[in-house]
Amino acid sequence: MSASRAELHGLIAAFRTAEQVAAAARHLASEGYRDWDIYGPAPIDELDELIPTRRGRLITAVMVAAGIAGACVGYFYQYWDAVLGYPINVGGRPYNSWPGFVPSAWEICALFTVYAGFFAFCFASGLARLYHPIFAAPNFERASQDRFLICIATDPHGEAAEQLRALLARHGAESTAELDR
Amino acid sequence: MASTTIEAGGAGAAVIGPEQSFSSVSATLGDLVLRQQTPRWWYVGAGISGAFLVLFLIASIWTFAAGVGAWGINIPVAWGLALANYTWWIGIASGGTFISSLFYIVGADWRNGVNRTAESLTLFAAAAAGMMPILHLGRQGLFYWLFPYSTVMGVWPQFLSPLIWDFAALLCYILNSLVFWYIGLIPDCATLRDRATRRTQRVLYGILALGWRGSTRDWRSYKAAYLVMAGIMAPMVVSVHSIVGLDFAAGLIAGWHSTQWPPYFFIGALYSGWAVVLCLIIPLRRLYHLERIITERHLDVIGKLMLTTGLLLAYCYLMEVMDPLYSGDRAKVTEFYASAFGHYGATYWARNTLNIFIPQLLWFPAVRRNKLALGLIALGIVTGMWIERYNFVVSALAQDYIPSKWGFYGATFWDWAILLGSAGLVMSGFFLFIRFLPVVSMFEIREVIHRRSKTEGAS
Repeated sequence: MSASRAELHGLIAAFRTAEQVAAAARHLASEGYRDWDIYGPAPIDELDELIPTRRGRLITAVMVAAGIAGACVGYFYQYWDAVLGYPINVGGRPYNSWPGFVPSAWEICALFTVYAGFFAFCFASGLARLYHPIFAAPNFERASQDRFLICIATDPHGEAAEQLRALLARHGAESTAELDR
Repeated sequence: MASTTIEAGGAGAAVIGPEQSFSSVSATLGDLVLRQQTPRWWYVGAGISGAFLVLFLIASIWTFAAGVGAWGINIPVAWGLALANYTWWIGIASGGTFISSLFYIVGADWRNGVNRTAESLTLFAAAAAGMMPILHLGRQGLFYWLFPYSTVMGVWPQFLSPLIWDFAALLCYILNSLVFWYIGLIPDCATLRDRATRRTQRVLYGILALGWRGSTRDWRSYKAAYLVMAGIMAPMVVSVHSIVGLDFAAGLIAGWHSTQWPPYFFIGALYSGWAVVLCLIIPLRRLYHLERIITERHLDVIGKLMLTTGLLLAYCYLMEVMDPLYSGDRAKVTEFYASAFGHYGATYWARNTLNIFIPQLLWFPAVRRNKLALGLIALGIVTGMWIERYNFVVSALAQDYIPSKWGFYGATFWDWAILLGSAGLVMSGFFLFIRFLPVVSMFEIREVIHRRSKTEGAS
């Protein structure tokens, strides 16, 4: 997980394009590296395949569930009022005139879906956490602007790190820095 | 793809200048917020908008103090400008959301250049719309009676009434628009946080960014949440404005009591929404020198959308004639002739001219390329849509079933002050937005640039 402190012992390399960082990441995966993540300034579909995660599907599921719950809450609120709590006979119409309850129930459904999505998104991405140790990494401010940063958890001083640096450089890393905090 | 350069203009123009890169987008759009000296036109524009906002506050306070008798409303015309304004503003808001959500789902790349502007417009326009019914209540302090809360009086809102649907729709819509707008701002606020040189900026945008880091997993969460949100917002907009149409359809007034209004109002809403977006981005791209990011392609696409929507609206207008005449209902026919040729006939023909006849010029690519012409046509549509709402509300109420109930309506100074003031409210919000937040979504433009580099690499 990106929030773990262990990750912050390692190397962080900056790439100019998504293609370069994807190539480097594929190489890393084939070499057996597991604990790494890419930070970038835009949602790039090609990178999604490199890091398997079920977050997207989970968020969708949460939103759908919240939408169904919202529709039920919206409907039964009106049902309770019109049928159980304060029944008023208007022109002999049935108390549970369901078609008339649908529009409000739909709006509540939309409200629940969108807010559930927002909070699920925040929770999944570890927001709001205003400071994160990764922010101290060299060049990390570029990850929100124009560079793709790949962060690999490893011992930054060992011999393996040297090989890793060479591998990253081969794929066009502009700079590679040590993370040791 | 190589032939589609930005210089071609119109439909042939690229959706973004070919020289634009991740760095240039972050620098151009980020520095408009962080480093530029506030331009003089901003002070002028914000000052005028602020003055109208003050007018709105004064007019609102006067309405609270003196009551709605300060307005021109009477019996039979119990709804005047407030309802026309409400319908108009909520329509403009709907258009903004629709650009952002529908064209995200269908994956139109031009959408990324204008969605932030459109969403911000939505937010302020929906707020202005929300003010209107409350101002019109008369006893504004009791507006919370609309909430289905556990009241000791044993009287709850009638959930079968479209007015209560409207309350639920508008409230949920404003709340949802806020989140839909804000979630898209989070990655951009992170860019501003990371580019900021001053501590206050870094802290402010840092808080707004909520600590966004932009890892691939975070982006995946973002995309999943945003896609479902867009998928909900698009039909929600349809429902919100259809419910506004149902407010009228469920009324027993001869000119209102018809099932055609939900699509009629929704199409009109989109129409005014596109037009206001055009009215805002044409000067904005020039004043902020964003011609390479909001390109001629954007203007051309929205121009074509306006033309299409205008034709749909023309069909609705024909149905509006057809419905009373074909029904042969005496009251409906009388009301129709009164609205088209009676006391308010001028507004009927003004709306037809501004909304239907003049926009036919958009068939010509040369007109769509001419920013002045495009801007003026859009401004005409915005005005025309307000006139349409005015004609619709007032002339129908003025000519009810019984001739002894007929009457006239004339807006007073306070009515106009509320209308102009609400425009001041929207524009004040908009000026604050263009100064303190990125006017174009930076990360979505980067996405467009990435896709373009991919297609270029492939060819």
